[in-house]
Amino acid sequence: MISDLTKVRNIGISAHIDSGKTTLSERILFYTQRIRKIHDVKGKDGVGATMDSMELERERGITIASAATYCEWDSHHINIIDTPGHVDFTIEVERSLRVLDGAVLVLCAVAGVQSQSLTVDRQMRRYKVPRLAFVNKCDRSGANPYRVTEELKDKLKLNAVMMQLPIGLEADHVGVVDLVQMKAFYFEGENGEIIREGAIPDNMLEAAEEKRTELIEAASMFNDELLEAALEETVTSEQIHAAVRRGVLELGLTPVFCGSAYKNKGVQPLLDAVVRYLPNPTDIENVALNLEKGEEEFAVKVDPNEPLIALAFKLDEGRFGQLTYLRIYQGTLNKGDTIYNTRLNRDVRVGRLVRMHSDEMEDIDGTSAGDIVALFGIDCGTGDTFTSNRNAFAMSSMHVPEPVIHIAIKAKDRKAEANLAKALARFAKEDPTFRSHVDPESAETIVSGMGELHLDVYIERMKREYKAEVETGKPQVAYREAISRRADFNYTHKKQTGGSGQYGRVAGYMEPYDGGEFEFLNEIRGGAIPTEYIPAVEKGFQAAMEKGKMIGFPVTGLRVCINDGAAHAVDSSDMAFKSAGRGAFVEVYGKCKPQILEPIMRVAVEGPGEFQGAFVRSVMQRRGVIVGTTESEGFVRVDADVPLSEMFGYSTDLRSSTQGKAEYTMEFVKYAPVPAEVSEELIKKYRQDGES
Amino acid sequence: MRRRELNERSPVRLLESSLHGGVGGGNIAAVIARHGVGKTAFLVGVALDDLMRGRKVLHVSLEESSERVRSFYDEVFSDLAHERELEDVWKVRLEMERNRRIHCYLGDTFTVRKLRETIQFLRDHGDFHPVAIMLDGFPFDETTPEEIDEIRAIVKDIDAELWMTAVTHRESDADESGYPEPLTHVADKLDVILQMAHDTKAVHITLLKDHDNPNVSDLRLALDPTTMLLKKE
Repeated sequence: MISDLTKVRNIGISAHIDSGKTTLSERILFYTQRIRKIHDVKGKDGVGATMDSMELERERGITIASAATYCEWDSHHINIIDTPGHVDFTIEVERSLRVLDGAVLVLCAVAGVQSQSLTVDRQMRRYKVPRLAFVNKCDRSGANPYRVTEELKDKLKLNAVMMQLPIGLEADHVGVVDLVQMKAFYFEGENGEIIREGAIPDNMLEAAEEKRTELIEAASMFNDELLEAALEETVTSEQIHAAVRRGVLELGLTPVFCGSAYKNKGVQPLLDAVVRYLPNPTDIENVALNLEKGEEEFAVKVDPNEPLIALAFKLDEGRFGQLTYLRIYQGTLNKGDTIYNTRLNRDVRVGRLVRMHSDEMEDIDGTSAGDIVALFGIDCGTGDTFTSNRNAFAMSSMHVPEPVIHIAIKAKDRKAEANLAKALARFAKEDPTFRSHVDPESAETIVSGMGELHLDVYIERMKREYKAEVETGKPQVAYREAISRRADFNYTHKKQTGGSGQYGRVAGYMEPYDGGEFEFLNEIRGGAIPTEYIPAVEKGFQAAMEKGKMIGFPVTGLRVCINDGAAHAVDSSDMAFKSAGRGAFVEVYGKCKPQILEPIMRVAVEGPGEFQGAFVRSVMQRRGVIVGTTESEGFVRVDADVPLSEMFGYSTDLRSSTQGKAEYTMEFVKYAPVPAEVSEELIKKYRQDGES
Repeated sequence: MRRRELNERSPVRLLESSLHGGVGGGNIAAVIARHGVGKTAFLVGVALDDLMRGRKVLHVSLEESSERVRSFYDEVFSDLAHERELEDVWKVRLEMERNRRIHCYLGDTFTVRKLRETIQFLRDHGDFHPVAIMLDGFPFDETTPEEIDEIRAIVKDIDAELWMTAVTHRESDADESGYPEPLTHVADKLDVILQMAHDTKAVHITLLKDHDNPNVSDLRLALDPTTMLLKKE
């Protein structure tokens, strides 16, 4: 049980893939004595960093799933959520951001702010996550934390201010100067665990004074007391701390720390900063929705005595069995409690409650608002809300994008087939952007997700974790069909076979609808169609929408209104009206000027300035629309909207045209109609496939 | 509302009739105002006027990231589309985006030579020939008349209009030449100078210089601060 909420921090460590985030997490666990030995990513000892709990992540040196782990520092209780860095997994990033109160943005001292940092930062802004920056890898050749701080200002538009200066860079990096206390700190001992305090080296005094003035100037915007003290030159460390904390909480200031996690420099001061500047759960206001009052918002109270509200933000099936990670927003959760899943309307008993430390765990008896814990063996989906007293509350729904890519997969043998089914059910629960279904015509299993890499990772996991080896088809873009204008229909379904016949007539109109996927309006007056058949008509339309008439992809953004029809006393039935709905759709679809929509990705390509031409060409060749070009100090970034269908193989092409010096990220932005020539091509191909 | 009508309500129309023949290809217009009056939004309004007529515009920013510039366009565009009940919004927007290029130089990386290279680059690689260039955030207080000449040579070559912004300060309203700082030392190199100011209700535009005309028409426009379109009477 947590007695003092102000001593709790729920933080994320978020960064670009190669900025050394996992190494940093590892060091934090080491210094907080959660682990006894340091392992490195892709370590020679074959153990790998503790946070990357999945085998695959260890092999690839990247973090895929966000494991939650906790540690203690300076008698504070810190829950760390390790967030993935690759943009294909942004659903994971976004999900973690929801449950975080603050974050550490890790940047590479050499590469600085990269396109991925921009994406991550945009997400943090969206969820209003206060953040600190840690400029890592100061031991690398070319390291320049000063430049990175400028980039935070220029590219991310953050009010970044240096809290420390590095003592020595590259191979000479030995410690940091603390600009608040005006002292030097050196990290010594085999694992940097011995911190030696010293005077600021003479050659750095002037720079330190200057940067301290900048720091005080920036911080005094958030605290009048500090402003006055600065004028009277009586500034104390406490005043600076208080002002910086205020600035961080208001998202108005981003303090910058530096060091090298790999060389064990500067990690402990970063932990001090987490405790000092990042918010505790009571500093943050969260809202929940009251499902009984039409999803009315209300503020949750971070109070152990209020009724429970907890959010399942991650499911994980590890070697201990099935785990559900919960963030408790309000109330108390104890072992043996019965809690209520508001999505499934189901009671669940809390058999075992654990605190996770990467992939080890410890049993606890109970905990309360503000904490992050894991439950055992609970059946639920990601994003479900749990409450006490059967309260119908939900934490605000998380934005889940529609998958944009499909791949057909086939189990290699009978045994794999059984395992595959298990794997698919599991993944779909863990990750709302991963879906699977069996295509009724080809009888193939189709998996869908947010990008090629996203699906690749799941296919790998099928093999490794479920022993389900699969063959994969070519990735397919998830097209949609949509109508572009209104048209009327009047359709009669009539069938006269031996026994009782089928009869149903429906009339009305179909039109584009931009409020969602489908809307059905019933404007029938005087009972032209008996009310009991109306749902069947709606089902008929919905069934027809699953496969559009142009290229067989689902139809979206459609409003159907029925305003007339006819029924027969004997021959009408649900079945007949469902067929009538379906028939009406087929009849009128062509008149509504249907078009094919394709997913458009926002692509950001970044690299040395000399490749600007190559970037622009590569995007133009792919039907891309360039939305902006940004130049800064030898680097250029080109942002473009490019159809997903044109992005296959892009990483290979980019690598070869830039000798591997450029990189790119992409993110789904919208569906847009395909140009006429592409549309014709797709239709032709669909017809050919149909014939063969 | 159709696009043509929308264009008719653009302040650019009125400006063109007040100015003797508009700004004109190869010429330079400067918009001067204090911080926060809406210079960028005004420039975006001018650019949209061309974009909506299917013409190409290059927007160069020395201050904002391309995302920020984009969101300026998106905002002004959607307010405009909404207020004027534009038809086919979706298609018009895509066309607008295709005809627009945003180029940002962050952290003092802008030089006149780079501007020339960028324009050349867009012609070579994108077959992109802008009729107008928006240059936002140019440091007028650091420039020289010679540099303005160089810039003019660039736009003369491609026969494009150039619109620039300048920040003025409270203390310096106007010198004896009638032009406010920081434009005084280059005012004779500029063809058109507009001054913007705002009160609680509207943004007001005054014409300070109109090519070499000694009689500057007494133009006073009141614009809606969100759409940068002429205020409805």
